[in-house]
Amino acid sequence: MILNKDLRIKIVKMITKAGEGHIPSSFSILDIVHFLYNNIIKYKSRNPKWEKRDYFVLSKGHGAPALYVVLNKFKILKDKHIMEYGSKIGILGGHPDATKVPGVEASTGSLGHGFPTAIGLALGLKIQKKTNKIFVLIGDGECHEGTIWESANIATNLNLGNVCAIVDWNGSAAQLMPKDDLLNKWKAFGWKTFVVNGHSDDEFKKVFKKIKFSLNGTPSLVLAKTIKGKGVSFLEGHGKWHHKLPNKEEQKKIFKELT
Amino acid sequence: MKKIRQQFADTVLEVGVKDKKLVVMVADISHGIMQPFAKKCSNRYYNIGICESSIVNMAAGLSKSGLNPVVHTIAPFITERAFEQLKLDFGYQKQNLNLVSVGGSFDYSKLGCTHHCYTDVSLFSHFKDASIMIPGSSEEFDVLFKKNYKKKNIKYFRIPENSHEITFKKKQIVFGKAIKVTDGKHLTIVVTGTQLKNAIEAKNILFKQDYSVEILYYHTIRPFDHLKLRASLKKTKRLLTIEELSAHGGLYDQCIRSTIGINGIKTKQLAIFDFIRGYGSYEDLCSRAGLNTLNIVTKALKLIK
Repeated sequence: MILNKDLRIKIVKMITKAGEGHIPSSFSILDIVHFLYNNIIKYKSRNPKWEKRDYFVLSKGHGAPALYVVLNKFKILKDKHIMEYGSKIGILGGHPDATKVPGVEASTGSLGHGFPTAIGLALGLKIQKKTNKIFVLIGDGECHEGTIWESANIATNLNLGNVCAIVDWNGSAAQLMPKDDLLNKWKAFGWKTFVVNGHSDDEFKKVFKKIKFSLNGTPSLVLAKTIKGKGVSFLEGHGKWHHKLPNKEEQKKIFKELT
Repeated sequence: MKKIRQQFADTVLEVGVKDKKLVVMVADISHGIMQPFAKKCSNRYYNIGICESSIVNMAAGLSKSGLNPVVHTIAPFITERAFEQLKLDFGYQKQNLNLVSVGGSFDYSKLGCTHHCYTDVSLFSHFKDASIMIPGSSEEFDVLFKKNYKKKNIKYFRIPENSHEITFKKKQIVFGKAIKVTDGKHLTIVVTGTQLKNAIEAKNILFKQDYSVEILYYHTIRPFDHLKLRASLKKTKRLLTIEELSAHGGLYDQCIRSTIGINGIKTKQLAIFDFIRGYGSYEDLCSRAGLNTLNIVTKALKLIK
């Protein structure tokens, strides 16, 4: 079953209009981000800086269009913002800018930055005894970066049980480093691990019921098995579509598959 | 005379006891002298480990949570290695960071080039909002840190191992303002950090040859005190800069901006133009880079005569 077809169409429209963006990467994470905002993350649409909000950091910055359409669906971003994506009058672009975009907690894009920032955020909240939860989404290719593992190590040593990291496990990493044993690696770093179908709300619900948050505990890691380009047959998988724009004919095919 | 690094530990202790938002993270350096802070502010001191890039990212997270982070370790590892983190988290996102380094340039002279750092100041010069300070005495560190640590920008404090051994009164130490150490009419020397000591020795030698030198000492490189320098240059028309920094993007570059519109200025720069390979004492390596009293006198006379 394909979830969030309407949001997938919106992503394709905004990216093709602007002539910039990563469609398959956005489709890969869309169902994760949507599930979190629809079911887990505490937020206030009209007050994105609400002190008691949960934090979501998109470490995999090039999936930003997925975050934008979700923030738009939940009224944190306006339709106007989506319409102006990638334009000189807009605030949204191919990677998110926390200095401008409501609901974006960290400016990401260069891989390996958002995750350690989220770990610092978790430490900061712990120091202040605040119980806000931190969710951070990492790409599996991003797990090539050394800072991911430095920070994974730090998080368990500081007992940051207020963090839940989700890895978008779509197989990008294994293209270059075929020993794709992310589950064992995260376990070895002391995280409590869960594996889930990253395109299933039902599976996410079951997993998130098991995740315990605390200010002095074990951080949680959800390894979400996803399909890059999920939802459109010819976009799925790895290769030329990573940063390619569909022409008008291809757009028609995409919309047909998603309708 | 108290070591500036010790003053760093003392100052953050004094501030941290009062300000519950001050958090210190170190990368396994100065851990011993930080123990009083660690004991008094036990949940706000972290010896994170040898992972400088991640520590800088983490400081961004601390800042986002409303805290005032202080990050401390050896200059090359926290500035050159972690530069992209500094650029994106603090240059781009304009958050609060107090970065306190030791071991700039030749302070780890016997450990070789891996532990030298010449480029830190010029790297931070790329950020319009960054404040760059080289406190050459414990008093300077204390004043500059207390004045700036809450601001939402990058504050870079480059702590030299050796003081210049001049004691300024605290009221003389004003963030962003140069200190006129001596009056003179034949030459303006602009100097930062420990090299003030050599500049004063050179001034004394030149005085015996009937040349008077105006020494302007800069503990703050950004924002740069252009006014004081322009006033001096209008008088002397001769400028010699002395900096234990890369020759590019540091003190000299700031000074050149000050000369715009003043005709007939002659300049010379004493700085670090390439890796200073090999080992030896701090003074040995400074001399190899031309940063000693004799060379200052030589360059000064070429400018004056």
